[in-house]
This record gives sequence, structure tokens and C-alpha cells, in this order.
Amino acid sequence: MADPSSYTTAPIRLRLFAALREQAGWSERDWPIRDHAIQPNHPPTEPLTPRQIWMTLQLEGSLDTVRVAINQQFAAADMPLQPGDELAFLPPISGG
Amino acid sequence: MERTPELNLAMPNLAIALHTERFDPMARLGAWHKLLEQRTSNSAAESLFIGRVRPTASDDGIALEALELEHYPGMTEAQLEALARASCQHHGVSSCLIEHRIGRVLPDEAIVLVAIGADRRGPAQRCCQELLEALKHEAPFWKREWRTDGSRRWLSGNTPL
Repeated sequence: MADPSSYTTAPIRLRLFAALREQAGWSERDWPIRDHAIQPNHPPTEPLTPRQIWMTLQLEGSLDTVRVAINQQFAAADMPLQPGDELAFLPPISGG
Repeated sequence: MERTPELNLAMPNLAIALHTERFDPMARLGAWHKLLEQRTSNSAAESLFIGRVRPTASDDGIALEALELEHYPGMTEAQLEALARASCQHHGVSSCLIEHRIGRVLPDEAIVLVAIGADRRGPAQRCCQELLEALKHEAPFWKREWRTDGSRRWLSGNTPL
């Protein structure tokens, strides 16, 4: 029987920018995600969301002041994440 | 040497460029006009905006050494194109050029150039303003002020309109 820890699939690619990147001390990292489709004996859990990851990261500030992008498109903080997604937390934008 | 703006083939007369080094907005505009002329796509009305780095910090007036512009590669280009397409379609304009700096920008250097061509001044001016505001708030750029007193600060928003 395979080790349950092997029941993982493509991780979420996490990215931070600007002030958030400096606060965290990293710009990119992988976030392991379990794929319940390939571990049928495990009870399904709530899908992983950007909000859950943000709360786990424990960065300063509220998610209300941060925008979320999934696969380089703006997204809601409660959008379910899929294996292999690129998730970015974006501090307040100031272009132009 | 200034390069010729590259047209976006999916939308005629749309060009977007990010510059890692200083660019001359008037030279870029000249190249853009030449390209439109070749396509016989010059417009009766054109609205322009050129944004440059202020010499002082946004809050306390301390002299600026530079303004750093960070961005999200890939998403920035896609977002600029989506914003441009939406504004151009909304206002029915005929051409759109966006040029934007990234990296370390010195005081008085250009940060952004937006040029909108249309048949009438109204759509050209409205589209130019709408697109500029959109890219300021919806394209993933971040500014950090490097001040001459040695301090640095990420800006958390844009200057008032």
C-alpha cells in the first residue's frame, strides 16, 4: 500500500509581490495539495481556497486589502483551488 | 535605438510595450504614427497622456532618488491588453498605444504613455482617461519610492485624480 504522503498531486504555486514579498521573505513557493480523486478512501474535505492559505501564512494585514489572482487572473478569495494552480497575493496596486 | 511598436494582431491598431529602460515617449509616438500611417489608420482625433516621475516623495516631499516599478510578468501584459480592449470597444476608438516602464525610473523620466486615436475628440479623450485610470488600478504594478535620505517605501495606492 502506498504511503499516504504520496497521495499528493501538483502543488499550488504561491507567489507574493512587492511589500508582501518583502514581509514574507520569499517570492515563490509550492503549497502541497491533496487530490481526493486519487485517494478515494479518504473522506472529502472542503476545497482549498486562497483565503485558507492566506490565514495559514499569517502575514500582516487583512485579506480585505489584498487582491487574489489565480493563474494570473483576478479571483475571489473563496474560489476553490485546483492542483497546479498559480496563486498570487497582490498588495494594493499603483501603476501608471 | 527606438524599436517600432509591435501591433497586436488580434486587435488591429493596438500595441502594448513594457520598457525596462528609459524610453522617449515622443520618439515612441513618432514611430507609432508612422506605423499607423503605413496602415492608413491615422485618426482625426488623438488623445495623449504621458506620466513622469515626480521629483519628490508623495507624502512628505523628501527628494526622490528613484521610483521602482515592480510588476507581475505575464499577468501585467494580459491585463493591459484586456483593459485596452474593453475601453477601446466601449468608446469605439480606432487605435490604442500603451507604453509602460518597469524597474528603476528616475525623476522626470516617463513612466507611462497612452495614445488613443478616434474619429472624434470625445471618444478619444474619454477612452484615454478611462484606460489610464483602469491601468492604474487594475494592472499589477507596484511603486516603491527610493528617497535621498536613504529610506524606501512601497506606495499603497495612486495619487488623486
